Amino acid sequence: MHLLELNDAGFTYPQQRDAVFSSINLRVDRGEIFCLLGPNGCGKTTLLDCILGIHRLDQGRIKVNGEDARHFRPGEIAKHVAYVPQRHENTFPYTVIDMVKMGRAVYTGRFSSPSDIDKEQAKKALEIVGMMHMRHRPFTQLSGGEAQLVMIARALAQQTSLIIMDEPTAHLDFKHEMLVMETIVKLVRETDMSVLMATHFPNHTFYFENRDIPIRVALMHDHTFLESGKPTEVLREDNIGRIYRVKARLAEFAMEEGSLRQLIPLRTLTAEDNCDESQY
Amino acid sequence: MLALAPVMAIILSLVIGRYPVSLSAIGQVVLNKLHLANYQVAQVHTVLIWDIRLPRAILGALVGACLAVSGAAFQGLFRNPLVSSGILGVSSGAGFGAALAIILFHGNTSATYGFAFAFALLAVLLSYMIGQVYNTTPTIMLVLGGVIVSSVFSSLISFTKYVADPYRELPSIVFWLMGSLATASYRDIMVAGIPMLVGLVGLMGIRWRINVLSMGDKEAHALGVNLKLDKGIVIFSATLATAGAVCVSGIIGWVGLIIPHICRMLVGNDNRVLIPSSMALGACFLVLVDDIGRIITGSEIPLGILTALIGAPFFVWLLKRTKGGGW
Repeated sequence: MHLLELNDAGFTYPQQRDAVFSSINLRVDRGEIFCLLGPNGCGKTTLLDCILGIHRLDQGRIKVNGEDARHFRPGEIAKHVAYVPQRHENTFPYTVIDMVKMGRAVYTGRFSSPSDIDKEQAKKALEIVGMMHMRHRPFTQLSGGEAQLVMIARALAQQTSLIIMDEPTAHLDFKHEMLVMETIVKLVRETDMSVLMATHFPNHTFYFENRDIPIRVALMHDHTFLESGKPTEVLREDNIGRIYRVKARLAEFAMEEGSLRQLIPLRTLTAEDNCDESQY
Repeated sequence: MLALAPVMAIILSLVIGRYPVSLSAIGQVVLNKLHLANYQVAQVHTVLIWDIRLPRAILGALVGACLAVSGAAFQGLFRNPLVSSGILGVSSGAGFGAALAIILFHGNTSATYGFAFAFALLAVLLSYMIGQVYNTTPTIMLVLGGVIVSSVFSSLISFTKYVADPYRELPSIVFWLMGSLATASYRDIMVAGIPMLVGLVGLMGIRWRINVLSMGDKEAHALGVNLKLDKGIVIFSATLATAGAVCVSGIIGWVGLIIPHICRMLVGNDNRVLIPSSMALGACFLVLVDDIGRIITGSEIPLGILTALIGAPFFVWLLKRTKGGGW
């Protein structure tokens, strides 16, 4: 049984002709990272929204832990899948621990508040992401990276086997990007969770691969998956050229840490490059 | 502490007024009425304390609590600190209902209450229906629905003023719209108290969920909230509370905006604490402002005028002191 399984999934916004995506097949198993790559506007976020049950597929089906997602009661998906947004839009200055406690909503009755057990779970989650010392600070005063770690803690408090992240490092500086990546590695290594994430950076996938984390990647192009598999197999120079219109070289460095792979961008491709397929 | 403060405010408002009464007289009247003792008290004291000031203070406390707490709940639900209890058109709906009843039934009190309450509910229902797209109710569409409905009912209020008899009906309408507790009686408490209490209890029950709802639709859904049902409960409770309050008191602005803010500065933004504090502070505030309205001049000043005149400077002072409380 797969953690998450999409068969022939397709979605079109109401009152629009063109599908956002179609014929998507995807499987996520325990203890692996699955990265969605693709240019802006290719439908990554909409695909994640469909898995979260915010939109309903109008083609194909989604199975979560073997159950058909169509039969979930509203909110039930939260027992199986947690979500980390690209950036939480601040409203009220809740404290960090209060934010994380909201991850317990799915286990808390409509007319009750989180119990002491829930509070312990929230603390444990903060411990894992290393934000325990910040627990009484207002969430609105955290830096982008710290806020993102708290969002991950909130997802952890939800105690699901899969976390969906939508470009979790998009707004972060160099160090905090690294911190979030390290946290993800830690989660997958130590807790056997799985992460399905959309990202704009092909090198993120190599970061995971270089650390021997089970990782697969899907390239989204022309409203469907162009190819999926191991980063080294999929993120070839020709594929990068095709979907991003960027000429890049896949380099391999022999380091003390072992052999590290990295995609090095050279330049954008112009219309003339199109005629010459050998460019890739 | 939270429950005690409104009680203190109510007791205080029994003492003060243009006809001063001593605390011991109050104690005697109350004990007499509860059949716990049999003191000799002047009839005028009994009537003044038990039949005039007490129902007025209780009603004031209830109305204040309802307006403040609905404001707090709506601010959380709409993720906007500038929202107040009237956001979905409750007040303008009630205003139109009352104005209509004043014209049609020449100011019959029961008719005015009934119409005000019914139109308050109708206004919110319309806002909700306008906000409903694709079988969901995104927050922004609800706000838009509220704006549309409010403006329609505001025009209708103007229209009723325009057609009203300028000597008999127009003053009643204008006076009603300014808000007042002057005619408060136990019957008012019995009738309007039911929706108000149901609303208060509902909001108390669901208060932690308001935290989660304030994460925004997408995150709240992903956290396991049944958006439609939980939003519905919040809107329904807040609407019952406000409609119950408005139908007996008229339109009292500003309480639903300022009291939650003061509470946010004092106790923070966690709705588990914020909701009960807003109730308590709202109750105190309205009772005390009503007291001021009773004693400040020879004739009474309508509540709706005073809430802003007294609340605004206090709000500014608090803003300066707490540096905005983390905003």
